[in-house]
Amino acid sequence: MIYPVHQQPGAAAHADAVAAEHGGAAVAGAKSRTLWGDAFNRLKKNKLAIAAVVWIIFVVIVAATADLWVPQTLGDPTATASDNMAGMSRLAPSLEHPFGTDTLGRDVLSRVIYGARISLVVGLVSTGISTLIGLVMGALAAYYGGIWDTIIMRLADMFLAFPYTLFVIMMIAVIGNGIQNVFIAIGILGWPQIARVFRSAILSVKENDYVDAARAMGASDVRIITRHIFPNSVASIVVYATMNIGGAILTESALSYLGMGVVPPDPSWGTLIQDGQQYLQTQPWLMILPGLAILSTVLAFTLLGDGLRDALDVKMKDA
Amino acid sequence: MGKYIVKRVLQFIPVFLGVTIILFAMQNIVPGDPIKLIAGERQLDPVTERNIRATHGLIETDENDNIIYDENGDTIETPMWKRYVNYLGDLLHGDLGTSYQRGTAVTDIILQRYPYTLQLAVVGIIIEAIVGIGAGIISAVKRYSFWDVLVTLATSLLVAMPAFWIGMLLQLIFGVWLHVLPISGVAGPIAQYPAWMYYILPAITLASVSTAYTARIMRSQLLDVMNQDYIRTAKAKGLSKGAIIRKHALKNALIPVVTYVGMDFGAMLAGAILTETVFSWPGIGRETYVAITQRDWPIVIGMVTCIVLVVMIINLIVDVSYAFLDPRIRLGSSKSES
Repeated sequence: MIYPVHQQPGAAAHADAVAAEHGGAAVAGAKSRTLWGDAFNRLKKNKLAIAAVVWIIFVVIVAATADLWVPQTLGDPTATASDNMAGMSRLAPSLEHPFGTDTLGRDVLSRVIYGARISLVVGLVSTGISTLIGLVMGALAAYYGGIWDTIIMRLADMFLAFPYTLFVIMMIAVIGNGIQNVFIAIGILGWPQIARVFRSAILSVKENDYVDAARAMGASDVRIITRHIFPNSVASIVVYATMNIGGAILTESALSYLGMGVVPPDPSWGTLIQDGQQYLQTQPWLMILPGLAILSTVLAFTLLGDGLRDALDVKMKDA
Repeated sequence: MGKYIVKRVLQFIPVFLGVTIILFAMQNIVPGDPIKLIAGERQLDPVTERNIRATHGLIETDENDNIIYDENGDTIETPMWKRYVNYLGDLLHGDLGTSYQRGTAVTDIILQRYPYTLQLAVVGIIIEAIVGIGAGIISAVKRYSFWDVLVTLATSLLVAMPAFWIGMLLQLIFGVWLHVLPISGVAGPIAQYPAWMYYILPAITLASVSTAYTARIMRSQLLDVMNQDYIRTAKAKGLSKGAIIRKHALKNALIPVVTYVGMDFGAMLAGAILTETVFSWPGIGRETYVAITQRDWPIVIGMVTCIVLVVMIINLIVDVSYAFLDPRIRLGSSKSES
């Protein structure tokens, strides 16, 4: 399947920024007069987005503090066959093991929690890499235009012409298995979308008088981009990057499912599903529960992204 | 119109060359001598080894396929750029080389596997078009109703699920619990179920996530169009809501949806590594994945070449029909925003 071209929030967010500048982005009952203050006020009213934020914070806290309590209460998530827990192999969910145990007798909840660490880090780091490359490429293409625009956008076309899953797998095959390489592969391949979003955002901001004014006052290109253009197109980048985190988590789970992600015995949600697949007929929860972890986390990032888009986008809000 | 098509075709050439150059560069970066992949643990005598290298175009040969030696009597390794040029030449003759591991022609492997991918893609795209467009229309026409909420909820959940997990849930429900559909594979000689049943679960899995996107695009497009002035005019004329939607709104709202579904058909024809893995489906996605893990570069390059060409041709058809359907593009400025 392919991802549809995202509705680009750039133009509308820009309208918001301009409106905010003229003090026109008034939201009933809100005191704030800044773009982000208004956006925050609107986001607070979106119950789904708040639920998503709460879930993301919960997952982050559980994953970050896992070392302090998970091995003690649920058991070692990376025990091996030599630890001799075969007697506890594939137990059904119970109070002691809420998600049951796997073939080697390891607690599945503990493995899901440690898997959350991998997923969150992959989501954030690879989105960070994609965003950074995408911003630089998008800025070069939009600001300098001409030959730069042609080269960069054709390069983006090339990356997008390649079937995505296949491209990631080939990248991993070239640079080797392992979680760092998953960051790099997903990160590098994600730049064209961000570059396109940023490029169109810049193009819509660039024609404004205040950019001409800054140039007339002798501001350098870098200063114009970082001080004038970037703040006025950052809304669309934030929305896009938030949604991208969910996509990166899905891609990591697919790679780990195929055995190209984390190296065993480290757990990842994708490897847990792969392990569980063999016992589909007898212990289906081994496959279902890690999938629910992916679903809830990716859904949270999507809902947060939707909420941010609505909050930062006055035009859509009024429609 | 003709000018537009020519322009789009010309734009594909650099993209295609770029993609294949990236492929060759990747092959060059990966460590490992192809001869080791061909021979495995066996020790080859130098003559056989030289001949294998020559057949795969790894060392220089003359027009009669005789190996060329340098002044020290050693074979000359073909540089990467020259192998790329040879690859392009062979490609024009419909030759994609020979697999390192299996010794069969890559074109034969593609011809053997591609029908499975094609069949699955056709069934998948039919499901996607009918369910996605239908759900989107219902959801937009009955906005804020129970059905709208249901469609919105279902699409939000679907796009957050890994496709391979959806496949396993379907296997669990319809194969393990209900025993009504086969869990995986294709119908063999001693198949338990009629052949068509083997397509259902993989096709649903393949279409699942994009069906959700189709429904979302359909819904937002139709809502968008319903706000347009000409719809208000139609309302003012006294047309019923049903007639307005059928005769005026749908035509315009469908254009972006058809574009999305068309491009997604291209993506499905590229093979579905995950769906094919979950269902042990013998299509090209799985085949390419196995070839990548085995570093069988002729298969990888051949498959990807074929996939990229198919995807590009489908996208071209979609672009052209889009231009045909939308006069603003056909007659408007020659801006090539892709």
